[in-house]
Amino acid sequence: MEVNLTINKKPITLNLKGNETLLEVLRDHLSLTGTKTACQETECGTCTVMINGKATLSCITLAANVQGEEITSIEGLAQGDVLHPVQQAFIEYGSVQCGFCIPGMIMSSVALLEKNPTPTQEEIEYALDGNICRCAGYPKIFEAVREAGKKMKNGPNTKI
Amino acid sequence: MALTPKSKFVDQYVDPVGKSVPRIEGRGIVTGQLKYVFDVQMANMLVGKMLRSPHPHARIISIDTSKAEALPGVKAIVTAQDTHQIKFGSNEYFFPHTVDQMALESLKVRYIGDELAAVAAVDEETADEALRLIDVKYEILPGVFEIEEAIKPGAPQIHESLNNIAVILPVNFGNPERLMKEADSVRESRFWCPVAHPSPMEPHVCVGQWETFTNKITLWSSSQAPFKCREALAKTLKMDLNDIRVIKMAVGGGFGGKLEMLPMDFAACLLSKKAGGLPVKICLTREEEFTTTRRKHGMIYKVKTGVKKDGTLLAITGEVLADGGAYCSYGPTVLAAAMMRIFMVYKIQHFRMTGYRVYTNNPISGAMRGFGGVQSGFAIESHMDLVAKDIGMDPIEFRLKNITEPNTVTVNKMILTTNGLKECIEKAVIASGWNQKRGKQKHLKRGIGIGIAADVMGSKMYKSHESAGAIVKVEEDGSVYLFTGAADTGQGSNTALSQIAAQALGVSFSRIKCKAGDTEITPFDTGSFASRVTFISGNAALLGGKDAKLQILEIVAKDNNLNIDDLDIRAEKVIFRKDNRVLMSFDKALELCYSFKYGKQIIGRGSYNPKTTPIDFRSGEGNVSGSYGFEAQIAEVEVDTDTGVVKVLELWDAHDIGKAINPQSVEGQIEGSLAMGIGYTFYEDLRFKNGRVLNANFAGYRVPRSIGLPKMNSLLVETDELEGPFGAKGMGEAALLPTAAAIANAVEDAIGVRIMELPITPDKIIKALKEQAM
Repeated sequence: MEVNLTINKKPITLNLKGNETLLEVLRDHLSLTGTKTACQETECGTCTVMINGKATLSCITLAANVQGEEITSIEGLAQGDVLHPVQQAFIEYGSVQCGFCIPGMIMSSVALLEKNPTPTQEEIEYALDGNICRCAGYPKIFEAVREAGKKMKNGPNTKI
Repeated sequence: MALTPKSKFVDQYVDPVGKSVPRIEGRGIVTGQLKYVFDVQMANMLVGKMLRSPHPHARIISIDTSKAEALPGVKAIVTAQDTHQIKFGSNEYFFPHTVDQMALESLKVRYIGDELAAVAAVDEETADEALRLIDVKYEILPGVFEIEEAIKPGAPQIHESLNNIAVILPVNFGNPERLMKEADSVRESRFWCPVAHPSPMEPHVCVGQWETFTNKITLWSSSQAPFKCREALAKTLKMDLNDIRVIKMAVGGGFGGKLEMLPMDFAACLLSKKAGGLPVKICLTREEEFTTTRRKHGMIYKVKTGVKKDGTLLAITGEVLADGGAYCSYGPTVLAAAMMRIFMVYKIQHFRMTGYRVYTNNPISGAMRGFGGVQSGFAIESHMDLVAKDIGMDPIEFRLKNITEPNTVTVNKMILTTNGLKECIEKAVIASGWNQKRGKQKHLKRGIGIGIAADVMGSKMYKSHESAGAIVKVEEDGSVYLFTGAADTGQGSNTALSQIAAQALGVSFSRIKCKAGDTEITPFDTGSFASRVTFISGNAALLGGKDAKLQILEIVAKDNNLNIDDLDIRAEKVIFRKDNRVLMSFDKALELCYSFKYGKQIIGRGSYNPKTTPIDFRSGEGNVSGSYGFEAQIAEVEVDTDTGVVKVLELWDAHDIGKAINPQSVEGQIEGSLAMGIGYTFYEDLRFKNGRVLNANFAGYRVPRSIGLPKMNSLLVETDELEGPFGAKGMGEAALLPTAAAIANAVEDAIGVRIMELPITPDKIIKALKEQAM
């Protein structure tokens, strides 16, 4: 079947069987391997992408069901060479260790901050609870989310 | 001059050591561009899968692959018949008889998950179908799953060893029995340390390719120890080391679980050969990750001590029984570490402990972050609090009286040079407000507890040497390559080693590109384990940087008719040592090296082997590490006595790290370790029934998540280790060791209840409170 998707603002037409998950489409059909998976059964959050601004697990999302929606993967966050404030903050605050969970973690963070750029500690914890970081770099992740939120609220030229 | 010099970078991170330089891989990680083996895609790549035993213990009668071979899309199937049937193991140097695992088994299976065959097919569905079509006939054997059942005479025999005991390790010093008689107080404890699983986010994954005509193997591997993996492949496949290239890509976490070659690595290569050289990718499912990769040893830890009224620790005896599962893996050395870490922490002359590494039909136990130290950390540090309580002594005072000191030699001949343990305790006590809190918050059901620990910076566990090498290659334009065999698995070693190399060469960090963990290109390195990389690989990077610097200075001295000993390179400039006067810029010096006149390539070389003596496992004697790291950890908790829920309010970890090469990375390691320690204390507990893992997923096996972690305080103690690169020690594991005990000790301070078996669960707290009330 023909499936029309909008991924990172680009329209893409694919010929699919119909049972492919969005995760499979991103990684296997489009070679967008920035989106990872660590369980394929909704427990780890590593495969998180944004659909219409909402953090969504791509491992249980059928690609054919999200035609016409705005799909954003980690590859779609930076504007040209300029990193998204959340990406930049994750580097600056040392929030990355092995990095495997980070694309999903960043997508959940962006989805939170776009709605609420000044989240409380509790709101950050709840928004990221679905994303496991086994290196457990949580304190530095929280810090990056807080600081990136300030920058998003005050505009892109704010120094964080 | 042919190329543009890199001077534009010189302002960024000149003198990088001690600065929180952002991770080299940062931009790759946050954009998803960094490639893990998990992400490898190649044309015509086949999907490989392992055929595993569904039985915990059975004799293999026959394996028939004919139906699977006939399935369209199946490109290769391998069984033991396709192999040289050479066993592999990880303690072959010290314990050759523990090399006990076949990559593909043909006679007997010993746990649920044991590998018998592997298939490669065009896609996953076909590979799964092929596995179903392989017909294996088994004769089921009775299994044994509990340590204390397995060692009984008459228990089912898993290997040849008597009573399923793979290794008995006696550690004996002095005369503890006599000293126990002289003691004012004797205390005996028995602890249970459960099974945890490393469960890195990236599961075990590899891509193997065997170029059949050139007979050349390449394995892209998510490995903590690519050279160790190459060695095991060479041995089991009967190849030379230079026939095999193991390429470590970005690794999505290891935590000890990715230290060894697994049957899948071996199978991917063999399958590729049989498929005419097509690449074969094998990626474990999360369930396979939990059930068939190495896990932490479950241990029964018995300890007995005798002390004087004044708190002097006279003697320690004990027994450790470790559930090894089906094969030995790193078991013998994990067991040794679980017993002998105490010598780094407490001054003790009279000691007798025996360890038993026991086979069961459970999954295989091996290395996991902490390497025996998490189990002993919980047992010993919980026990020491009980001892202090017996004689009415404050646990801090008791520890300060008995801890090891700088520049001393332990009873088992460990040479402790710098030792910041006392300073760590004092720092943690002050930061946590111990004196205002200990024993004074019972009305709030709050308590505070301490645990202390020490760790090695490397350990000669599987080879005669433990060297690391580095090459520092300076290009014509002033950009620099650091080639290191070290395996960055996420801790940031590429960044830290680059900082060390840059500092040693005297240039800005931004000049350096790090190429790591490729057995064909980079120098040898034993891998990421035993918190050894900063210390050992760091020393190699230091020597490599210094060597490159000398090569440059040689040309500068010659050209200017100066004495090389009078010159140095610091912060991008060639200077005179005596008055720091600048002679020329680094770029000018390099221009000279690559000039028409000299044409000298700058290739610095470093090789470092720590100053250690191998451990004598008959006595427990040996200076296993070139340096030792120390720490003190304090936990404050609040207990809800209605629900039994323990909440950790705050943690303080004071850590002797020698010198922080990258403070941000050090904090990251401490915070990650503390969180993992909280996981082990409260919920990380892989459970089994008749050899089957009951919670083989992230829903059933909980790991630390964002909710519920306390405030964590990293307090760095810098002791400037003379042997360390720029004074640094390693610190990847130590912060995890005393967490469970610090929390258990805090629980006792809060509500007077002592938990002897991890994890600390609400039902155990409630039960203990009921017993206390009776």
